[in-house]
Amino acid sequence: MTLHLSIMLWLPALAGLVALLVPRAISGWVAFVGSLGALAYSVALLVDYDAATGSLQYVTDETWIEQLGIHYKLGVDGLNLALLALATLMFSACILWAALEGDHRRERPRQFFAWMALAHSAVLGALLAQDLLLFVLFFDLMLVPFFFLTGIWGPGPDRVRAVTKLFIYTLVGSLLMLAAAIATGVLSSVQGDQTTFVLSELEKVALPEGSQRWIFLCFAAAFLVKMPAFPVHGWMPDGYRTMPLPVLAVFSAVLSKVAAYGFLRVVTPLFPDASADFQTLMLLIALASILYGSAMAFTTTETRLILGYSSVAQLGFITLGIFSLDGDGAQGAILQSVNHGLVTVPAFFIVGLLAARAGGSQDLRDMGGVAFRAPILAALFLIVSLATLAMPGSANFVGEFLILFGVFETKIVIAIVAFTGVLLASVYMLRMFIRAMHNRVGAGVVPTDIRFADGLVLVPLVAVIVALALYPQMPLEKGQNTIPPKVEEAGRLAQPERQAIR
Amino acid sequence: MTSVKTFAWLTLLLPLAGCLINGLGFRLLRGRMPGYVGTAVLLGSFVCAVLMLFALQDLPEERRQVEAVAWEYMTLKGSVDAKLMLLVDPLSVFMTVTITGVSTLIHLYSISYLSGDRGYARYFSYLNFFVFSMLLLILAGSFMILIVGWAFVGAASYLLISYWYRRETATAAGMKAFVINVLGDVGLVLGTFFIFRGTGTLDFLESFERVGDVSSGDLTAGCILLLIGAFAKSAQIPLHTWLPDAMEGPTPVSALIHAATMVTAGVYLIARMWPLFEQAPNAAAVGAIVGCLTLFVSATIGLVVTDLKRIIAYSTMSQIGYMVMAVSSGAYVAGIFHFYTHAFFKALLFMAAGSVIAAMAGVQNIDRMRGFRTAMPFTFGCFVVGGLSLAGVPPFAGFFSKDEVLAYVADRGDWHIALVVVGYVTAFITAVYTFRMIFRVFFGEPSPEARELEDGHLHHADVPTNPVSGEAEDTDVGFPGPEHHIAERALPMRIAMGLLALGAIVAGWIQIPNVTEALDHFLEPTFAESRFHEELHPSDALTFGGMALGAVLSIAGIAVAYLIWMKRPAIATTLRERFRPLHTLFANKWYADEALDRLFVRPGAWFGRFAQHTFERVVVDGLFVGGPVGLVRAGSAAVRSRQSGFLRAYAALMVLGLAGVVLWFLLRA
Repeated sequence: MTLHLSIMLWLPALAGLVALLVPRAISGWVAFVGSLGALAYSVALLVDYDAATGSLQYVTDETWIEQLGIHYKLGVDGLNLALLALATLMFSACILWAALEGDHRRERPRQFFAWMALAHSAVLGALLAQDLLLFVLFFDLMLVPFFFLTGIWGPGPDRVRAVTKLFIYTLVGSLLMLAAAIATGVLSSVQGDQTTFVLSELEKVALPEGSQRWIFLCFAAAFLVKMPAFPVHGWMPDGYRTMPLPVLAVFSAVLSKVAAYGFLRVVTPLFPDASADFQTLMLLIALASILYGSAMAFTTTETRLILGYSSVAQLGFITLGIFSLDGDGAQGAILQSVNHGLVTVPAFFIVGLLAARAGGSQDLRDMGGVAFRAPILAALFLIVSLATLAMPGSANFVGEFLILFGVFETKIVIAIVAFTGVLLASVYMLRMFIRAMHNRVGAGVVPTDIRFADGLVLVPLVAVIVALALYPQMPLEKGQNTIPPKVEEAGRLAQPERQAIR
Repeated sequence: MTSVKTFAWLTLLLPLAGCLINGLGFRLLRGRMPGYVGTAVLLGSFVCAVLMLFALQDLPEERRQVEAVAWEYMTLKGSVDAKLMLLVDPLSVFMTVTITGVSTLIHLYSISYLSGDRGYARYFSYLNFFVFSMLLLILAGSFMILIVGWAFVGAASYLLISYWYRRETATAAGMKAFVINVLGDVGLVLGTFFIFRGTGTLDFLESFERVGDVSSGDLTAGCILLLIGAFAKSAQIPLHTWLPDAMEGPTPVSALIHAATMVTAGVYLIARMWPLFEQAPNAAAVGAIVGCLTLFVSATIGLVVTDLKRIIAYSTMSQIGYMVMAVSSGAYVAGIFHFYTHAFFKALLFMAAGSVIAAMAGVQNIDRMRGFRTAMPFTFGCFVVGGLSLAGVPPFAGFFSKDEVLAYVADRGDWHIALVVVGYVTAFITAVYTFRMIFRVFFGEPSPEARELEDGHLHHADVPTNPVSGEAEDTDVGFPGPEHHIAERALPMRIAMGLLALGAIVAGWIQIPNVTEALDHFLEPTFAESRFHEELHPSDALTFGGMALGAVLSIAGIAVAYLIWMKRPAIATTLRERFRPLHTLFANKWYADEALDRLFVRPGAWFGRFAQHTFERVVVDGLFVGGPVGLVRAGSAAVRSRQSGFLRAYAALMVLGLAGVVLWFLLRA
C-alpha cells in the first residue's frame, strides 16, 4: 500500500488553519477531524508496516536546501511506528476533550485549536523526520505552540513565570541541540565530500571520539530537559500547574517521548563511542530521576505534580532502558514510552475531574470519598493507577521488565537499585488513588460520576490500555527488527566482553 | 489432552466472567443476584477443575504435564520467550481443585453474610477476580504468567482489605498489604532475572531442564529472591506485618484470601520450583529456618492478642510456617497436604468467628465475648471442630498433616531436628491459644449480646463503630451494612460451614501413613525426579512415635487452656504479672511493625521531605532556575510592560538566537 507521509504530517496543521476560519462553535471539531485523520493514517501504518525487515518504509525524500545538504526526508520504521500511533491517539483524545469542554470555558477558541493542531503536526514531523536538521526544526517548532497555549489560556496568574522558565530551559536546550546538529553535519562532511544531514548517511560516517563527546552532551542536555530528568526538571512544577488540562495532558504524554525517541534515533546510532563513554553517567541521571521523582511524588499533595514527578520517574526508567545499550532495554524503553503516554492522558483527565469535584482544588487534602457516588470514575481511575504503577499484567510491566532486564545484564547494581522505583511507584499512585477516591468525603467535595462526554474520551483510552495489557506482543513485534540495531554498536563498545560471549 | 486444556481454560475463565458480569452489571443485578452469579460461576469452575483432574488421571503417568498456550505474550528474537500459557500437572490440579472447592463454599457463605451491604456487587466482582487471579498463579506455565497472577492476587487482596473504604484503618491496611506484596513481586522478578540469565527461557518445564546451565551463585541468589516473593505473599517473617492488619477486610475475605488460598501461594511457589531449590541447598535452608521462626513467633503472639480475627490470623501465619518449613526441607507432599487440610479448618474457623462477630454487631475483642455456647450451638460446634483440627487432635484433618510435616522434616536429620523440636513445642502452644479462644468466647457467663441472642434477638449497635479505632462509622454509604447475619439464621452460611466442618474432620484421611497415602501417589508425577521425594521415608517408629507425641501435646495444650481460662482464671493474671517482659514482647508482636517503620518508612519519608522542602527549593529552583530566570528578568525589564509584548519579546529573542547560531556555523563551514 502506498501511504504518503506528507499527507499525514500536514493534515492536522491544515485542519488547524481551517479551524481558524470556521465559526467558533465548530472550530474544535474541525481540529479533531484533522487529528482523527492522522490517527487513521497511523493505524493504517501499524497494520501495513512490514516488520519482518525492520527497514525504513514509505520514504519521502526531497532535496530541500541543496547547498546545505538538507533534505525533506520522512520515513517510518519500527522505532517510530508505535510512537506515531501514540502521538496521533493522544492528540485526538486531547483535542476531543478540549472540544467537549465547550467554548464557554475558553476565550478565542479558534486560535486555541489552531495551536493544538500545529503542535500535532510538529510532533509528527519530529517523529517522521529522517534528516537531522529537519528533526531539530520540528523539535523546536513543536514547543512554540505550547508557549502560547500556556501563556494565553493557562489558568492562574503564575503563567508568565511558568512560561518564562519553560522558555529559558527550552531555549538553552534548543540552541545547544541546533549547534550540535550543525556540527554533526559539518564535521561529517569534512571526512566525506558532500555536506548532508540525512540520518542514514550520517550513520555511515564515524566522527572522532572527541567531537562525539561534546556533541553527545549537547543533544543529551536538550533531550533531558524535555523529558524532564533530574536535576534539570526545574520548569516542570510551574509548567504543570499552569497549563490548561488538555494541553498539559498531551504535553506530558507525547513531548517527553519525542526526547526519548531522539536518543534512539539520533544519539546512540550516530555517536556510539560517546554513548558508551557516558553510559554510566546517563544511567546515574536516570536512576536519580527515578528515586527523586518518586520521593517528590509521594510527598507532594498537588495532584498534577504527583503525576508530573511520576513522569520524571517513569522517564527515568525509559532513559535507563535506552542507556542499558541493550536490545531488550531499548525495546522496553520504546514500549514504555507508549505505555506511559497511554496512561498519562487519562490520568490527567481524571485529575481534572477530581479537581472539579473538589471545588476546583488540585490538592489531595481537599479530596476524598468520591468512589461511592462515582463507581465508574473509580473503576477507570483504578485501572489507570494500577497500569501507571506498572502492575504485572499491564503492558507497562512488560516495558519495565525489559528495561530492567536490559540494565540487569549490563549494570546489575543499577538495576537492583532501580527496583526501588518500582516499589515507590506503588506508594505514590496508591496514595493518590486512596486519598482521592476512598476514606471520608472531603469537606467541599461534591461526589458525582463522570458525564457521558467524559466517558467518550476516557473509556476508549482505558480500553486501549487493557488491550495492550492483553497483547503487548503487538508493539514488540513491530519493533524487534529495528530497535536493537540502534544500540548495537554502542553496546558493543560499552561491553566488548559480553557481546563476545553471545 | 485436549480435554485437559479445555477444562483448564474453563476453570480459569469462569471466575473472570463472573467478575465482569458483576462488575459491569452492578446497576442491573438486583438483590442477592450478584451473590448467586458469583457463586454459580465458582461452582462451575470447581466442576471443571474436577473434570480436569479426571482427564489428567486418564493420561499415562509420564505424560501428566500438559501445557496449554494461548498466544505469544512477550517474545523477542534471541531473548525473552514468555507465552500466555498454562501448565497442568498433578500439583497444579490438586491446588486448583482445593481452591475452587473452598472458594465456592466461601462465596456461598458470603451470599448471606454480606447481604445488606451496599457494595454487594462490587464485593462479588472482587471476590471472583481474586479466584481468577489465584488460578492464574497456580496454573501459570511460565515465570511471566506466574508473576502476573502473583501481582493480581496482591491487587485483589488490596481491593478486598480496603473493601470498607470509608474506614481509614482499612485503606491504610490495604496500602500496607499492597506495598509489601509489591516488594514480594520485586523479589520474584529479580529472582526470575537471575534464573533466566542462565537458562535463557521463561518456560517452567524448560527452565527446570536447563537448571544446570545456571551458575550456582546465580541460582542461590535467584532462589533467595524467589523466597522474598514467597515470604511477602505468605506473611513470613520479616514481611508478615501486613497480614494481621489485613483482617480489616470482611470476614469471608479473611477466610478465603488470608487463610485458605492466597497466603499459601508462597508454599506453592517453593514446591513448584523444587528443581531449583534442590540445586540451591543454602536457599532452601533459609526457607526452612524462616518458616520455623515464623511458626513459633506467631504462635506466641496468638497467645496474647485479644482480637478474635487477629488470633486466627496469627495462627494462619504459624501454620503457613509449617508448610514453608516442609516444602523448603524437601517434604513437598507433606507441605501440600497441610495446605489442603488447613484450607478446610482455617476457613471454617474464620466463618465461625464471622458468625460470632455478627452476633456481637461487629465487635471483635474477645474480652467482651462470653458464653455464646447456648446462644449459637451450630457456630459453637463448627468452631470446636475447626479448633480440634487446628490443635492437631486425632483423628481430625490437621492431626495427620501436621504430623506428616514434622516426621518428614525430622527424617532429613542433622539440624532439621532442631526445627522439628520447635515444631512440636509450637504444636502445644497452638492447642493452648486455640482453646483459649474457645473457652473465652463460648463458655462462662453469657455476655449481654449472648443473652440477647438467647432471647431471640440479634444484637445491633446503636452507633456502629470501627472495631479497631473505635471511631463512629460513616453510615450513609451503607457498608458495612446495618444488618448482621449469623449462621444459625442463614441457610447458605450453615451449608458452607457444615461442609467445611465435614472436611475438617475427614480431609486428612486421604493420607494416613501406611494406610491410604493417596496424595503421595497422586502427586508422584510432579515430584518423581526429586531427590528428596526418593530419599525421605520416615521409618514407622518415627511416624507413629511422632503421631503419638503430637496427639499427647495437643491434648495437653487443651488441658492447660482449660486450667487457665476455665478452672482457675486467676492463673492468667498471675502468669501475665510473672512474665511481664515476655508478655509485653508478645503483645507488641515482637516489635516487627516498629522495626519496619524505623528501617524503611521513616527514612523514606525523611528523604521525601528533604527532597520536597530543601532540595527542590534551594538547589533545583534556586541554582538551576533562579539564575537564568533572574538574568532574563533583568534583560527583559524594558519590554515587560504588557504580557503579550512579553511573549513577543521572547519569540523574537528565540528567532534571533537561532539565526545567530545558524549563521555562525555556516560561516565556519
